[in-house]
Amino acid sequence: MFPTEHFLYLGALLFSSGLIVVIVKKNMIMVLLGIELMLNASNLNLVAFNQLHPGSVAGQMFALFVIIVAVCEAAVGLAIIIQVYRYYQTSVPDEVSELNG
Amino acid sequence: MEDIQSYEATYFTTCLVAAVALPLISFFLSFAISEKYSWIVSFSAPFLLLLSTVAAGFVFYAVWNHEPVNIQWHWFTCAGYTFTAGVLLNNIAALMLLLVTFISFIVHSYSTAYMAGDPDFRQYFAMLGFFTFSMLGIVVVDNLLLIFIFWELVGFSSYMLIGHWREKPEAAEAAKRAFLINRAGDIGFLIGLMILWANTGSFNLTDIDSLSGYSSWMTAASLCVFCGVMGKSAQFPLFSWLPDAMEGPTPVSALIHAATMVAAGIFLLARVYSLFTPPALDVVIIIGTLTALAGALSALVQFDLKKILAYSTISQLGLMVVAIGAGAPQAAMLHLFTHAFFKACLFLGAGSVIHSLHQAQHQSNTALDVQDIRNLGGLQKKLPFTFIIFLLSGAALAGVPLFTGFLSKDAILNSLMAWKGSDLSWRWLIFASAFLVSFITVLYTFRLIWSVFKGEEKVTASLSIEEPPVAMRVPMAILAATSCWLFVSWNPFDFSGWIYNGLTSVKHFHFTFIALVSAAWIVVALIVAYRIRERSFKSAVLLNGFYLDRVYRWLIESPAFQLALFTNKVDKKWIDGVLHTSAYLQLIAAHVTGWFDRVLVDGAVDGAAGLTKGIGSFARSFQSGKIQLYIFWAVFTIIIFIIWTLL
Repeated sequence: MFPTEHFLYLGALLFSSGLIVVIVKKNMIMVLLGIELMLNASNLNLVAFNQLHPGSVAGQMFALFVIIVAVCEAAVGLAIIIQVYRYYQTSVPDEVSELNG
Repeated sequence: MEDIQSYEATYFTTCLVAAVALPLISFFLSFAISEKYSWIVSFSAPFLLLLSTVAAGFVFYAVWNHEPVNIQWHWFTCAGYTFTAGVLLNNIAALMLLLVTFISFIVHSYSTAYMAGDPDFRQYFAMLGFFTFSMLGIVVVDNLLLIFIFWELVGFSSYMLIGHWREKPEAAEAAKRAFLINRAGDIGFLIGLMILWANTGSFNLTDIDSLSGYSSWMTAASLCVFCGVMGKSAQFPLFSWLPDAMEGPTPVSALIHAATMVAAGIFLLARVYSLFTPPALDVVIIIGTLTALAGALSALVQFDLKKILAYSTISQLGLMVVAIGAGAPQAAMLHLFTHAFFKACLFLGAGSVIHSLHQAQHQSNTALDVQDIRNLGGLQKKLPFTFIIFLLSGAALAGVPLFTGFLSKDAILNSLMAWKGSDLSWRWLIFASAFLVSFITVLYTFRLIWSVFKGEEKVTASLSIEEPPVAMRVPMAILAATSCWLFVSWNPFDFSGWIYNGLTSVKHFHFTFIALVSAAWIVVALIVAYRIRERSFKSAVLLNGFYLDRVYRWLIESPAFQLALFTNKVDKKWIDGVLHTSAYLQLIAAHVTGWFDRVLVDGAVDGAAGLTKGIGSFARSFQSGKIQLYIFWAVFTIIIFIIWTLL
């Protein structure tokens, strides 16, 4: 049985990687991928923390919900990306800068 | 009865207004007539003056030896004081009224021929009319303020007439000088008026007549008024303008010397005689004596025909002032009256000589100074008529018995005789100088007539000289006829005829031996004059009128110039300095405030704006529109926030 901290380290590593991917990648699809990474890191945390309460599967259940929501989110995100691409003829998030103040 | 009186009153007023206003109408008419019809002026102007003379004659007849006429009306009210204007006609004024209009009429008639062909013919007659009008104003008004106004008008018109040939620089200069010297005297007159007003609150001549007692302010006021007289009547030391005024046309000189200009001063003295206190009269008599001597001596050495006459006028005016100072204004007025006729006549005669010689010169195209008696001589044959005129009026001037001049001079000598008293004092000196003056008068009159009409003909020998036209001869003849003693009194050795008795109510002193002595004196003078006829006196001092011009220059002009230089220096150094310094200080202050404004005020405003802008651009920099950057900042903030809360 691995200690819980290891999972937490892995989750933090994954979350950070996802965050970095979200921030630095030049493609919206990759940003979406980064978000997936961060979601999976949080799933990992949910499951890992469930270890502290044996006999309960609330963490796994929550992770399952997160996966479902992530799917939905990916679908909506991809749709948005496609719309943005259609409209701006680009999928680089930096070039969509109409909110520039 | 009442009707007749009011009829007479209107009749009298009409005549008075006509006498005074007709010369003014002549003035306006002469300007109104166009250049093309200027010949009308040569008829209208003398005609209007003739009417004026006739009207003056009626006025004279109504006033002479009657109650004085004093008509007053409200003039204006100022600061609670009511000023009245009016006319005061007594014997003196009536006599002057007649004299001025008559002489002016004679001069007008004479001028029609003398000035014929002058380009400014109309202006000349206009100013003659205006001159006469101004003088008549002085004569009739009853108020010193009005007299002063007309006095200045006389000064103005004399300026216009002396400078009639304004293209000649000497004439322009002479006119300017006459005007300025008169102004110098008029300052005194004006101050005298102020003193009078301050002490009596009235300018009316009747109020002055009723002054009683002597006070120091009266001395001051009378001496100030006498200053004005010194200017106008060419008394020492303000006489130098009169010889210079000879630059004007000769008939104008006749008018100035006889009736309108220099007579005004003597007339004024006689008019305000009661203002003069004994000390003031002493000053007056001393000034008069100095003038009489200076004028007579200068006349002896002049070479200019007209300047001899001018200096003789100065001398005679001095005698008149002496008579005033001796307390005998009636004698002064008598001499003024006789002098007006013979001096006008002499000037018209001189004008006739000049005119004839000019005409002759025009025909023969020669150029010489026809007024210089050194060029003249022996003209008796060519100008017999003018010679007789000169002889008659010259005799009157010299005071030869049987002529008017003798009688009026006798009146002055008599008044001096009574004035000097029996004790020996400085007054005897005055008395003696009066005799000396009458002696010199004979000398220079003789010299004048002799050098012009007798002796050898000099440069004029080759000229064909003709007598002047009738229009000039008739006026001269009329004036020459008035040199006869009959016009003054029946007795050729007693001056107290109708005029003298009309001018004074005081019982006069008549010393018969004075008449005899002065007659003998004149004869002696004539003999002496004949003896020294070939000798010519030379004195640069006398020739140049005692260098009074230089004295003026030294006394007034150069100090004034120095003062001007000094004030200029003060102006440049101090006033300009102060101005410059203050301007400089203002400039510095302006720079300081400018700097303050620019740096501090603007700086504060700009700084506030800049700060806002900086904050704005700093805040803007987060809103780059890059989604990932937003996310970065959001995460960054959360991390900072977490660290903040955890610590």
